[in-house]
Amino acid sequence: MQFPRRQSTASQRGGMRFLLFSGGIIALTATMNQPAQALPSYARQTGQECTACHVGGFGPQLTAYGTRFKIGGYTDSNGESGHLPLSAMFVGSYTHTAKDQSEDAGPYAGANNNLVAQEVTAFLAGGLTKNLGTFVEAGYSGVDNVFALGEMDVRFASTVQLGGKDTVIGVTLNNNPSVTDPFNTLPAWRFPYASSDLAPTPAASTLLEGGLDGQVLGISAYGFWNDSVYAELGGYRSLSTSSLHSLGLAGDAGEIDGISPYWRLGYMKDNRKSAYSFGVFGLYSKLQPDRLSSEPTNNYQDIGVDASYQFLGTRRHIFTLFGSYIHEQQTLDNTFSAGDASSRDVTLQNFSLNGSYTYDQTYGITLGVINTWGDKDALLYQSDSRTGSPNSTAWILDANWTPFGKESSWGSPWANLRLGLQYTLYTEFNGASSNYDGSGRDAGDNNTLFTYVWLSL
Amino acid sequence: MMKTLTTIRFFKPLACASLFCLPMLTTVPAIAAGNAVSGADVYNAECADCHSLKAGKNKKGSSFVGLIGRTAGTVPGAKYSDAMKSSKIVWTPERIDAYITHPKQVVPGGSMKYDGLDDAKARADLIAFLATKS
Repeated sequence: MQFPRRQSTASQRGGMRFLLFSGGIIALTATMNQPAQALPSYARQTGQECTACHVGGFGPQLTAYGTRFKIGGYTDSNGESGHLPLSAMFVGSYTHTAKDQSEDAGPYAGANNNLVAQEVTAFLAGGLTKNLGTFVEAGYSGVDNVFALGEMDVRFASTVQLGGKDTVIGVTLNNNPSVTDPFNTLPAWRFPYASSDLAPTPAASTLLEGGLDGQVLGISAYGFWNDSVYAELGGYRSLSTSSLHSLGLAGDAGEIDGISPYWRLGYMKDNRKSAYSFGVFGLYSKLQPDRLSSEPTNNYQDIGVDASYQFLGTRRHIFTLFGSYIHEQQTLDNTFSAGDASSRDVTLQNFSLNGSYTYDQTYGITLGVINTWGDKDALLYQSDSRTGSPNSTAWILDANWTPFGKESSWGSPWANLRLGLQYTLYTEFNGASSNYDGSGRDAGDNNTLFTYVWLSL
Repeated sequence: MMKTLTTIRFFKPLACASLFCLPMLTTVPAIAAGNAVSGADVYNAECADCHSLKAGKNKKGSSFVGLIGRTAGTVPGAKYSDAMKSSKIVWTPERIDAYITHPKQVVPGGSMKYDGLDDAKARADLIAFLATKS
C-alpha cells in the first residue's frame, strides 16, 4: 500500500543517492510495498461479496475467480445499471523498529514509533463500458504529505472463441511492469499486501520489484485461453521528469532507452475447491540513469518463475502457498564507466515464498520470506553495505482480522475493514547480520512491528 | 434439521416439466436422494461466488432462493443469456442435475462459466440443499 516514487523516506534516500550518483542498482523500491486492490466498487458492480474474488475478503490476494475478473477487464457485473466505479481507502499505521533509525523515518516522521495516516486514496475502479474497465489509484500520502497518482491499469477486454474455447483477449494501459499480473506472485501484488512506509528496508532489489513503478507508461496485449493459459507481451517507455513532477512522483530511475519489453506466460487450473498456477516472466530495460543519451546505459535482464496453490474448500478453511524467483543480470556500462562499480556484469536474485491460513474468511495469518542475494561489489554497494554485498533476508509474519466482506456482513458491500499486526525479522540486511553499515547497526535493529487499520468503501 | 430430497414435494414440478422440457432432457434418470447439510458445502465450494441465498439479490447469476420449480430466466433483475431466457426450462431436480452436469450441453450458448460437476452425489446433495431454499 504505497504510492510509487513519491518523496523518499530516509532509507530510500540512501538508495536514491546511490542510484543517481553511482548509476548502479535500482534501489528505489526499498520499501517493497504494494498498493491495495480490494475495492468495494467491484463488489457493488458484480453484486458479489469481496470473498468471491479475494482470499480473506480483503485484497489484493485473488482467488481464481478474482483472477478471471481482473483478466476480464474489471467489467463483469450483475447486469444492473448505474454502478458508480468509485471507491475510497484509508490506511493508518504505527511503525516501531527494534532500534531507532539513524535518520528520521520520513520527512514528517521521527526516528521511531511513528503513527501516520499512511494513505487516503480514491479509485476509479470498475467497468466503464461492456469491455472497458479500470483500476486507477490517486490520493494523499501522509508519509510524504503529497498528492500523487498511484497504480494504473486500464483494460479493454473481449471474449472470443479460439479452438472452440472461450478466450479473453485484451490490452492494458498501465504504469508498472507486473501490475497487470493476475496471480499475486509477481512483485506488484505479492505478499506482504500491506507494509510500512516508514520502516528501513534493504537497498538492493531487482528492477522488476518496483524499480520502474509509476515512472513509466506501458501497453500490453494479453490473452487467456480456456480459463487456463495466460500470455502477455508489452512494452514500457519512461515518463518525462516534468510528468513525474506533475504526478507527484519524486523518484526517477532514469530514462529507458527505447522500449522495455515485458512478457508473461502462465498456466492456471481452477478446480473450484482448489486452484494452482505456474509461469515464467521477464523484463528487459536499458536505462540511462542521468537521462543523457550520450552516456552509456545500464542494462537489466530480469527473468523469473512463479507458482501458486490455494486450497479453498468450502471457504471455511483456506490455505495458500505462493512463490516466485527472479534472476537479474545487470550490465552496468554507465556505472562502471563512472567508476562506481568494480565490474560491468553483476547478478542479483530474489526469492519470495509465503504460506497463509484463513479461517472463516475473517481471521488470517501469513508467514513469508523474501531473500535477495547477488554478486559482491565493493564499489556498487558501498553506500549501503560494509561488506559490498546486496544480500538480505526478511521473515514476515502477518496476522489480520477482517470482520466484514461477506454476504451477511454488516454494511455490505460498503463497510470494509482489516486490522493487522505484522512483524518483520531480518536475519541479514545489506550484506551482513551485524554492523552491516560499518556504523554498528545490526540487521536485527531493523526488525519492524507494523500495525495497521485498513478501511475501504 | 437435515432435509433430503425425499422430504421435499417435487412431484408437481416434475409433472409439469415432463410436458414442456427439451427432448434431450426427457430421459434423464431420477437422481438419488441427497444430503442437504453436505449440499451446503457443495454450494459454498461450487456456486456461492455467483449465486446468492438471499431473496431478490442477484450476483453474476440469479438468486437461488425459490429455484426449485422456477422457470429459467425469470428472476427480476437478473442477467441471463438469450439462450437461457429462451430455454423455458423449469428447474426440477432432474433438470438442475442435468444442467450442472453439463451446462453447455443443456443450454448451448449459455453464459454461465462453469464446466460442470461430475460427482453425482455432490449434485444430489446440492439439489437437496437448494430445495431447502424455497
